[in-house]
Amino acid sequence: MKLGIAGIALRLAVIAAAAALALGAVNSVTAPVIKERKARELQEALSSLVESGTIGDKQVVEQHPVVQGFYPVSDEKGEPHAYILDLLSIGYGGEMKLLAAFSPNGRVESVVLMENEETPGLGKKAENPEYMEKYIGTGVDTPVPFRKDDLSREEADAVTGATITFRGIGTALSEGSEYVKEQLP
Amino acid sequence: MTAFQDFSKGLFKENPIFVILLGLCPALAVSNQVVNALGMGAGVIFVLLGSNIFVSLLKNFIPEKVRIPSYIVIIASFVTIVDLVLQAYLPTLSDSLGVFVKLIVVNCAILGRAEAFANRNNIGRSILDALGMGIGFTLGLVLIALVREVFGAGTITIFPMGSFDGVIRIPGLVDAPVMVLALAAGALLVMGYLKAFFNWLEMRRKGVRA
Repeated sequence: MKLGIAGIALRLAVIAAAAALALGAVNSVTAPVIKERKARELQEALSSLVESGTIGDKQVVEQHPVVQGFYPVSDEKGEPHAYILDLLSIGYGGEMKLLAAFSPNGRVESVVLMENEETPGLGKKAENPEYMEKYIGTGVDTPVPFRKDDLSREEADAVTGATITFRGIGTALSEGSEYVKEQLP
Repeated sequence: MTAFQDFSKGLFKENPIFVILLGLCPALAVSNQVVNALGMGAGVIFVLLGSNIFVSLLKNFIPEKVRIPSYIVIIASFVTIVDLVLQAYLPTLSDSLGVFVKLIVVNCAILGRAEAFANRNNIGRSILDALGMGIGFTLGLVLIALVREVFGAGTITIFPMGSFDGVIRIPGLVDAPVMVLALAAGALLVMGYLKAFFNWLEMRRKGVRA
């Protein structure tokens, strides 16, 4: 059977429409599950970052390349004793989202790497809590490391193969620390 | 060709990784840990099965001139389904496979089977072909991953069960691994040596002195 160009286009359209329908059905089942999981992961990440205090609602920061928003953390008296910053950075595989707790003087207290597209086995290692140890406590007396020269030999070896991930995280934390020092009370 | 041959050819004789050399980019990329290789393999088996079934069913409906776009639509749909299901129910695996799940779309092993087999054979044979090729792909991937992880990291990572965290540590190697094997260059090296080994086996089988 010979098909004209319209017939060919129609058949391709039918296949595409059927595929779209099937995907819509799958998406309607998985979308709420994914959304709920993301919200739960965010809550878990936030509460893992600070040992005590109440985490306030997110304040959106506009027109800052790195700091997307922050969550004030207040102690029992309602005084702010830390800030959790929502940071956007660029890694090897595109955007990386970080959540980092800073004390009000800009000291890095804890960091978790959230959504990212880093290479499994290399940049992805930054998801491990041990990876972030080299950043903790920096930002006030010692600058946040973002070049390999800033690291000890062992730490530098550990980021080999994923220098861009390391630099991206370091730069974002450094920006975050500056933001806390300059913009937040 | 018997039904068993439809299935078994993908395992060794026409193994997609070591003999046909298809789907190498994802194979090299996710073969750094055994668990990733198994996850990727399962994803490929599912997508291959789905695409072979639908390509075979629709082989008289799909116009010859737009067959490749049609196959891509079908394959991309199954890949998206795998991606969504992994994100919803197996988030850890989804995270560790990352972008490579989406890249199953451009895995030539799948498009290759649609074009070379499913569009000219009936559904039963296409299913057997998909299973054989998918399992063959997974075996190849796991073999590369096993070599790379054992020597490159000194561990074997599988699924965590109960008190077992899913990581088998090999004494001696875990402290002093051959790090290059865990990196991208190591993937190519391991792939090359394994390919040479399988070629040597094949030559011996044919009675050629190597």
